[in-house]
Amino acid sequence: MNFSIILSKEVVAKNTVTLKFSFDKRVYAGQFAMVWTPGKGEIPISFSHTGDPKGITIKNYGDMSAPIVALNAGERIFFRGPYGNSFTKPKDGDYLLIGGGSGIASLAPMISKNAHGIISARSMEDLFFLDKFEKSKVIATTDDGSFGIKGNALDALRTLDLEKFQNIYVCGPEKMMKGIYDYIKPKNIAAEFSLERPMKCAIGICDSCSVNGIQICKTGPVFGMDSLRDFTEFGTTRLMLSGKRVNI
Amino acid sequence: MPSIRTKIGPISLENPFMLASGILDENGYTMKRILENGASAVVTKSIGTDERTGYSTPVIVELPYGLINAIGLANPGIDNFGEEIKIALKGNRPVIGSIFGSTPEEFVNLALKMENYGVNAIELNLSCPHVKGFGSEVGSDPDLVEEIIKELKSKINIPVFSKLSPNVTDILSIAKAAERSDALVMINTVRAMSIDIYARKPVLSNKYGGLSGQAIKNIGVRYVYEVKKETGQQIVGVGGIETAEDAVEYIMAGASALQVGTVIHKKGIGVFKELSRELEEFMNHEGYETVSEMTGVALS
Ligand SMILES: Cc1cc2nc3c(=O)[nH]c(=O)nc-3n(C[C@H](O)[C@H](O)[C@H](O)COP(=O)(O)OP(=O)(O)OC[C@H]3O[C@@H](n4cnc5c(N)ncnc54)[C@H](O)[C@@H]3O)c2cc1C
Ligand SMILES: Cc1cc2nc3c(=O)[nH]c(=O)nc-3n(C[C@H](O)[C@H](O)[C@H](O)COP(=O)(O)O)c2cc1C
Ligand code: FES
Repeated sequence: MNFSIILSKEVVAKNTVTLKFSFDKRVYAGQFAMVWTPGKGEIPISFSHTGDPKGITIKNYGDMSAPIVALNAGERIFFRGPYGNSFTKPKDGDYLLIGGGSGIASLAPMISKNAHGIISARSMEDLFFLDKFEKSKVIATTDDGSFGIKGNALDALRTLDLEKFQNIYVCGPEKMMKGIYDYIKPKNIAAEFSLERPMKCAIGICDSCSVNGIQICKTGPVFGMDSLRDFTEFGTTRLMLSGKRVNI
Repeated sequence: MPSIRTKIGPISLENPFMLASGILDENGYTMKRILENGASAVVTKSIGTDERTGYSTPVIVELPYGLINAIGLANPGIDNFGEEIKIALKGNRPVIGSIFGSTPEEFVNLALKMENYGVNAIELNLSCPHVKGFGSEVGSDPDLVEEIIKELKSKINIPVFSKLSPNVTDILSIAKAAERSDALVMINTVRAMSIDIYARKPVLSNKYGGLSGQAIKNIGVRYVYEVKKETGQQIVGVGGIETAEDAVEYIMAGASALQVGTVIHKKGIGVFKELSRELEEFMNHEGYETVSEMTGVALS
C-alpha cells in the first residue's frame, strides 16, 4: 500500500472533488488506483491527473467513496496501483473524448488543444471539466436539460461528423458505452472504451470484473473495437459482488 | 516422449495442473477460457446455500512472496450457479464443483445440485466456520468430517474430494476422517495478517486472511508428504506452485495431481501451458515416462 499527503482539494461539481498528491511513479491515462480508507473500504478510482502532481477526481456515490471525498489537504491518502492498461496516445489531428458521469475523470489526462469533448451528466451541477476544453470543441448534455443538450452522450454524438476524428475515447456507464459502440461499429472508426465493472482485487485473480474470460482490471480497462466485438457480456450481463449474474 | 497425463479417482486429466478454487472461477466464461488455455480441470469457487457478498474491500494484500486474501466466501448461492457451470462445461474438460456448508444435510443438498448441473466431481471446502462449536471450522472436527463424507458417498454418484485446511492442530486425524473421499486436496490457505504501519491498522477489512503463493509451498509439501505416508490416500497437491520444479516436489511427496492459483497473479493464465511444457522437459531429462512413476518417490 502506498500513501501520499494530499496537496490540494478542489470541489469540481456537486459531491465531486479533485485531490492532488505527489507520487513518483509513471502513470498513464486510463490507469487506476485502488484507494483505501482504513476501516472503511477500498475502491477503484482513475487517475485524472497523470503528471506531477498526480490527482484523482471522485464523486461521492456511497459508503466507500464518501470518506475519500471527505479527505482534506494535509491528510494521507492510501492507495495501491497504478493498475490496468492505458489509452493509446492520440496521433496528430483531432480526436474525441466522451465521458459519462464520473467517466470524464479517466479521460481528463487526454485533454489537449486537439481534443473535442462530449460530457454528459444527470444535471448541470454534476458536470465537470468542461472548462478544460476549448470552448467551441465541447458539448455538454444533461438528462434533465438543465445545461447543454437535453439527452445523453449518444444524442450529442449523432450531431457530429465523426470522419474528422483520428480516434474516439469513451468512458462512462456501460449502457451508454454499449449504445455508442453500436452506433459507431458500422462506421469503421477507431475507438477505445474504458470499461467499469465491480472490482475487488484489481490484480486479475478474483474474477469479479471479468468479461468473457478477460479481467478488466488487468488486461483492461481500455479495449478497442475489436476486443469489444468478442465480448458478448459487454452491455448485456454482469456479475454482482456475490457473483450472481444480472442483466445490465 | 514422457506422458504428463494423470488420474485422480476415476477422472482422467490431460496434465496434472488444475485451477484451484477461488481464483478466476466465479464467471463461467473465465473458467471456460482457462480450460481452453491448458488447465486440465477447473475447481469452481466455493459455493454455499445462500448468496453472499463476502467481506468488504480490501479483500487482498499483495506481498512479494504471495497473497493474503479474505474474500469471505462471496458466492451467488447454489441456485444461481447453474448457468456458470453450463458455460464452463463448454471448455470440454472436467469441472469440479467446490462447496461449503456447516452440516451434512447442507453438503448433501449442495452436492446434489452440483451433480445435477453436470460437474464431474465435488470438492469439499472444509474450512468453513461451523455453528455448533463456535470459532472452530468444520474441517477441524473429525467426527463431522467423517459424517459429511459418509452421507455424500451414499447419496451422490460422482467422486468426492476433500480439501483440507492446514490451520488445524492434527491434520492426520482429519485426513483419516476423510478417508472415504476419492482424494484429499491439500492445502488451503494459511491463516495470516498484514498491518499497514502508516495507517496503523490491519489492511484486510476482515483483519485476518489466508496466505497463499510461494510462501506456503514448503508447508504444503510437508503436509502432502506426511499425509501420504500415513494414509496412502490419493492426494491433489496445492499451495505455492509456480514452476514445474515446485510441481515435481509435490508429486514426489505423494501428489497425483496439482492445483494452482496465486501464480496466475504473476504469470497470467499462460502459466498452465508453461507448467505442462516444463514438466515434460523435466521428465524427459530425468527419464520418467509417467507421472505415477514419480508420485511419492521421496517417501521411500
Ligand atoms: C476502473 C474504474 C475506474 C473508476 N474511476 C472512477 C473515478 O475516476 N471517479 C469516480 O468517481 N468513480 C470512479 N469509478 C467508480 C467508483 O469505483 C465507484 O463509484 C465506487 O466504487 C462507488 O462505491 P461506493 O461504496 O461509494 O458506492 P456504492 O455504495 O457502491 O454505490 C452507491 C450507489 O451509486 C451507484 N454507483 C456506484 N458507482 C457508480 C458509478 N460509477 N456511476 C453511477 N452510479 C454509480 C450504485 O449503483 C449505487 O446505487 C471507477 C470504477 C472503476 C471500475
Ligand atoms: C483469492 C483467493 C480465493 C480463494 N478462495 C477459495 C475458495 O473459495 N475455496 C477454497 O477451497 N479455496 C480457496 N482459496 C485457496 C486456494 O484454492 C488454494 O488452496 C491456495 O490459494 C493455495 O494455492 P496457491 O498458492 O496456488 O494459490 C482461495 C485462494 C485465493 C488466493
Ligand atoms: S478485480 Fe479481481 S479479477 Fe479484476
